[in-house]
Amino acid sequence: MTDEPNDKTHVASRRRFLGVVAATGAASVAPGVVVGTAATTTALAEASQPAPSQAVDASASPATCKPPWPTPGYLSFGPDEAGFVEAMVNVMCPADALTPGGVDCGLATYIDRQLASGFGKGARLYMRGPWREGKPELGYQSPLTPEQFFKAGLAAADAACRTRNGKSFSELAASDADRFLYEIAGSKVTDERVPLSSWFNELVYPLFEQACFADPIYGGNAGKVFWKAIGYPGLPAVHSQDMIDFRGKPFPGAADPKSIADFA
Amino acid sequence: MATRLKHRAVVFVGGGFTAALAARQLTAKGVDVVVLERGIDHTHTAATSLPSQRDELRWDVHGELFQDWSVQAYTLRHNGDETALPIRRLQSFKPGEGMGGAANHWNGQTWRWSESDPVLRTHLENRYGKKAIPAEMAIQDWGVTYAEMEPYHDQFEKLFGIAGKAGNLRGKLQEGGNPFEAPRQNDFPQKPLPITEAGVIFSEAAKKLGYKPFPLPAANSPEAYTNPDGMQLGQCQFCGHCERFICEANAKASPEVLLYPMLRKRKSFELRLQTHVLDILYDRKSKRVTGVRYIDRVTGEEYEQPADVVVLSSFTMSNTKFLLMAGIGAPYNPKTGQGVVGKNFCHQTMSGTRVFFKDRWINPFLASGASQTVIDEFNGDNFDHSGLGFLGGGYIYANVTNGRPITSRGVPPGTPKWGSAWKKANADWYAHNFTISAHGSWYPHRENYVDLDPTYVDAYGQPLLRMTFDIRENERRMSIYLSKTIDEIAKATGADIAPPTPPRKGPYDSRIYQSTHVTGGTIMGSDPGTSVVSPRLQHWDAENLFVVGASVYPFNAGYNPTGPLGALALRLGDDLNDYVARPRHL
Repeated sequence: MTDEPNDKTHVASRRRFLGVVAATGAASVAPGVVVGTAATTTALAEASQPAPSQAVDASASPATCKPPWPTPGYLSFGPDEAGFVEAMVNVMCPADALTPGGVDCGLATYIDRQLASGFGKGARLYMRGPWREGKPELGYQSPLTPEQFFKAGLAAADAACRTRNGKSFSELAASDADRFLYEIAGSKVTDERVPLSSWFNELVYPLFEQACFADPIYGGNAGKVFWKAIGYPGLPAVHSQDMIDFRGKPFPGAADPKSIADFA
Repeated sequence: MATRLKHRAVVFVGGGFTAALAARQLTAKGVDVVVLERGIDHTHTAATSLPSQRDELRWDVHGELFQDWSVQAYTLRHNGDETALPIRRLQSFKPGEGMGGAANHWNGQTWRWSESDPVLRTHLENRYGKKAIPAEMAIQDWGVTYAEMEPYHDQFEKLFGIAGKAGNLRGKLQEGGNPFEAPRQNDFPQKPLPITEAGVIFSEAAKKLGYKPFPLPAANSPEAYTNPDGMQLGQCQFCGHCERFICEANAKASPEVLLYPMLRKRKSFELRLQTHVLDILYDRKSKRVTGVRYIDRVTGEEYEQPADVVVLSSFTMSNTKFLLMAGIGAPYNPKTGQGVVGKNFCHQTMSGTRVFFKDRWINPFLASGASQTVIDEFNGDNFDHSGLGFLGGGYIYANVTNGRPITSRGVPPGTPKWGSAWKKANADWYAHNFTISAHGSWYPHRENYVDLDPTYVDAYGQPLLRMTFDIRENERRMSIYLSKTIDEIAKATGADIAPPTPPRKGPYDSRIYQSTHVTGGTIMGSDPGTSVVSPRLQHWDAENLFVVGASVYPFNAGYNPTGPLGALALRLGDDLNDYVARPRHL
């Protein structure tokens, strides 16, 4: 149905990212894949220099658009927030035999995009007061939107980190950062105003898992790398015969998963 | 000021599963019907088209087919002395929105309940004595027997093309079916779905222990199927996107595939989408309802729709809320035990464990919503409860419905929450584990009920429904018992890793999905002092008001609620034809 996408490394102007570009086929015009801000800015700056030799030649082959992926630049994060989240996803998803590091997998991009979208703005969330602290079983009770809550928790966690470790979270060595995250998850780090363990366990951690395993169209799971790692075949999932033929056997499609972009 | 519309014969509040079945019977006789549904028709939208249908984040995690909590939520407290807070994003059950309701995103597990369920109190008293039922357990008979319901079960199964293996054909037990099945006049209209690898493993283990496993009755069509109305189902693709999704292959029997397209062609049927009903209009003096008031969600304008008959056919929660808002029937008071509206609120007692096999390929993504293998030895009163300290039970099954990677992955206990070891555990075990679960009953408790919240309101300024609700002693004990039974089966599978099953405990947790089977609030029965509607689903305090849905169940059995609901809705349609012709207490 579609051509097989290639994986190759793309070097953006400011930061290295794993770029996954569909060489041909419908995937190259998949919605949601947009040229990134940093790269674009640089390109525009260069293009504004007088360079007659680069004048458009109408007879040349049509211009192509091969956007880098994960798309550089953030919609929601400021620089400090980006630093925290990038450090965090690289600790939670270190580069190893199964996947590249978290940033290169698009995990920070995914989280940023979710916080900037309806989810982060509190869509479908009951947001009327009065607000009171509740038992954990009553779920989310913050008057903040998930995006605001994410950032309030992040600031509180970073402040706690400076108190405990004498430096910002993004400056910690990987093993110290890993330990600090476990301390937050296990309620060993607290803040007067922000419930840090539920912040991490019920907002940050689910976003991390989604970043790994959601369809790559949302910006994470770059190159379907997590689907490949576990053997989830993805789409189109038309398995009425497969479920007989491959009952109890390795499923060949698991090695080469397909995602929404492959069918767009 | 609401604009008053032209008078109609029968108005349904809520365009889901039950409204469609009852309206089928009514419009077949040409009775004028209008169905008011707050949501849209999802046909030919992203929800029902490839590739977007397979988007786990959108439909499952973000729940775009579910009730929008920013418009209407529920509050929860575990006991009457606590202050309830709103559940701002409910996870423990998932009401639907749009034509077809929650039946759009169901799994398709379609049971008939036990023959003893409609007469549960009588049955238990006969077997164990009156004292065996605790005072706080308000179970009661439905006022209708299984035998009366059987023809409607049969009709429903044919309409929905249910796939299964008969266990009890006209009193004769059938090899390979459920030996505890209530006697059926006819076999299922379709052969069972093919078994999964998890089902093979579960089946071998269960047989080793002397149990009789069988395929769970399924609304996921094993082949193309044409029902008695000429409506068609496609073949199930085992795509693992049933529950929380609409089937794009039209292979999951649902009202939006089998009923609404047909009804919308009938002259006496009208479906009015994006209409949010605000009130049932009740004339206290004459003890009759006169119609409903609703808001058009597209224009924001309010309308009054006068009608001869009003049928509440919305989700369990809304059915109860409408009655409380209109003051029809006495609200339940847990202190005195008096009153009826809001009582006997129940859910489903779920527990389970994951079993891990190094050398077996489970391939959880090769599954459908009801392609499960099950035993029924520990459900309802299929086993002797003498000395056990609880009543009720559940079926136990190889619970594989999908391999969706965000929410359905499993790793062995002790796996770190992230890092390389976490990734490796996911890679090692994703295709090699499945869950064995118990789907347990939930009997009513005097202190579990719903009423109107005194503080929190919805987007229309109306009070939220408040749940005073927890898992009580009976269900906790039952869950311990069922969980131990799961562990025995898990051990018998020969799994490399079979962690002990954590039984369900309190407090009731709104963050954990426990099925969408909430029941009660407008319960049925023969005594107006202890029930909201009659066995014919007619309101005791308003002759021309009927209520249908799981809100009429006096308790929740260990079976999924859809089967008897289909039968009750078809029967209600026939009763409404009778009532419209000659209005009276049926």
